[in-house]
Parts: sequence; structure tokens; C-alpha cells
Amino acid sequence: MKYIVILIIVLILVALGRALIAMLRGGADNSEKMFKSLATRVALSIFLFLLVMFAGYMGWIEPNTNLPIR
Amino acid sequence: MSSKDSYYVPHGTYWPIIGSIGIATMFVGMANMFHGVSWGGSVTALGLGIVLFMMFGWLGQVVNESVNGLYNSQVDRSFRWGMSWFIFSEVMFFAAFFGALFYAREFAIPWLSGEGNNQYTPDLWNGFVQTWPEIAFKTPAAELRNGTALSVPTELIDTWGLPALNTAILLLSGVTLTFAHHALRAGERNKIIGWLVATIALGVAFLGFQIAEYGHAYDIGLKLNSGIYGSTFFMLTGFHGFHVTVGALMLIVILYRVQKGHFSKENHFGFEGVAWYWHFVDVVWLGLFVFVYWI
Repeated sequence: MKYIVILIIVLILVALGRALIAMLRGGADNSEKMFKSLATRVALSIFLFLLVMFAGYMGWIEPNTNLPIR
Repeated sequence: MSSKDSYYVPHGTYWPIIGSIGIATMFVGMANMFHGVSWGGSVTALGLGIVLFMMFGWLGQVVNESVNGLYNSQVDRSFRWGMSWFIFSEVMFFAAFFGALFYAREFAIPWLSGEGNNQYTPDLWNGFVQTWPEIAFKTPAAELRNGTALSVPTELIDTWGLPALNTAILLLSGVTLTFAHHALRAGERNKIIGWLVATIALGVAFLGFQIAEYGHAYDIGLKLNSGIYGSTFFMLTGFHGFHVTVGALMLIVILYRVQKGHFSKENHFGFEGVAWYWHFVDVVWLGLFVFVYWI
């Protein structure tokens, strides 16, 4: 599960990076490309959020915020 | 301005020296404030005021020159490069704090508890045993409670509460910003304004909840000095919150410029730069939510 989450984060970073490169290059084509990459990253982010919440609900992953007993 | 094709050489300007004076004033004020000098705070505020005055004046001048058509494609490229280097510095900034979190969690704490070739290390630290979140060393000092060397919290912030809500809010702001971006590319100004206002409102809501969360954290004793977890938690979330604040201010400026009709369907780099910045801050939070709270 952990690795799936990390993989999606990497994909989000790739989409964000593509948008950055398109923005750096400028021009009409790249403006379009930037917009599409950003939309992709929003969709992936929402999917990741829902996935993490679902995995937490199902008990596949545990939150870090349970204070260890010491 | 001689020709559209030649590089636009700016006229002489006094803004850089005003900026330098502002930053220097701020540092002198801050250094004295940390040493408890009575006038430290007011000099810091004065310095900050000068810096804000400089930003307002300088950026306003750039906007005016842009609106008056003084810039050619070469200047446009230089703005894009400038934004890219700024973003690069931001990426490295957050990479350092995420790096600190990963390093402490995956290397430093296991080593302290005897992993690898560090078999005897725990003996140096009263039988240190690794845990995550690592709040405090299991030493007599760690037994001290609030108000002393280390603040040991009684509980931690519930992942399912405000953090999850704030993630949803920030992700939603990414959606509304995408709608604004789409409206801009379609040339529908009223829609851009509506979606931008929604984005800013969501950003402000996020900040409000974040302040509430910090209040809760302090109530339960989770502070900057609550071990490596407390330190990295507040460094990451604190600087992220600061970036949301800056991003929201930038969006407000963009909203003003949209109302003034500064952007066209084809030419709106100011919007693109700020939009990308907001998406970046959004992704940083998502990474923070996943790595600090979940895995």
C-alpha cells in the first residue's frame, strides 16, 4: 500500500514538473499543455487523498499520530 | 524604448536600494529583538514596512510597464526564467525539511537504537528504544513536563480530524483554481473572478483551521521542542502555512489584476506563475499529510 501511495505522489510530482516546464517555455501550445498537466495533478491528488482515507478506514495503513506508550 | 525587438533595458530605479535598506533595518531590529533590546520590535516592524512598500512600488511599476506594452518576448522569457529559479529555491527549501524528516526517521533514530554497526549506542542513551513519532529521549530529562527542557505531549493530533478536513479544503482550492484557469483561457472574466474568490476563501479557511490546530497542539503539549517529531512537524506545517499566506496574497493581487483587465486569453503569465505556485503549495501539503500523518 505504502508503495502505491508513493508511486502516485511521484506521478503528481511529474505532472507538476511538466506544467512547470511548459510554463517556462511559454507560447500558446505550452499554455495548453500547462493547463492540462495541472488538471491531471489535481485529479491525481484527489484520487490519492480518497485512496489514503479509504486505506486508513480499512486498516491497511495506520496513522503515525498514535502516541507510543512509553 | 527604442524598438520592440531589442532587449528592454529598464530605466534607472531607486527600488533596489530601498529594498536593501528595508531588509537591513529588519535584520538589525530582529537581532536586537532576540537579545531583548526594547526597540528591537519596532525597528523590525519598520524594516518590514519598508520592504512591503518596496514590493508594492516595484511590482506595481512592473505591472504598469507591462500593461503599457513596454515589454517584448525577450522580457517575457526573463520573467519565466525568474519564476523558475524562484520555484527551484522553494523546491529545495521544502526538500531540506522533508529530508530532515526522512533522515531522522529512517536513519538517525534506528542508529541511535542500535541498528547497523551501532550495537552499543543505546547504552550511551540509557537503553534508547526507537519509536515513531519520536517525541523525547527516554532519559530523566524526558520525564520533565511542560515548561521545561522538553515538552512531552499527552496525545497527538488526530489524523482524521482537522488534518483530513484541511487536506480536503486545500485540494478543493486546487479544483476551483483549475476552473478559474479554464475560465481565463476561455475569456470569461466573471467566472474567473468567482472561482478566484472561492480559491482565496478556501485558502483563508485552511489557514484558520491550521491556527486552530496549532492551538490544540499547544494545549496537548506538542511544541517545537517535543523531540524530532515536534521540530519537523512545526517546521514543515509552519513554513507551509506561511506559503499558503503568501499564495493567498498573490491570488488577491491576481484577482485585482483580473478585474482591471490586465490579462488576455493568450497572455497571462502573471496568472500562470501564481497558479503554479498555488498548485505547488497544494502538493507540498499533500506530501505533508501523507508522510507526517500517515505513512
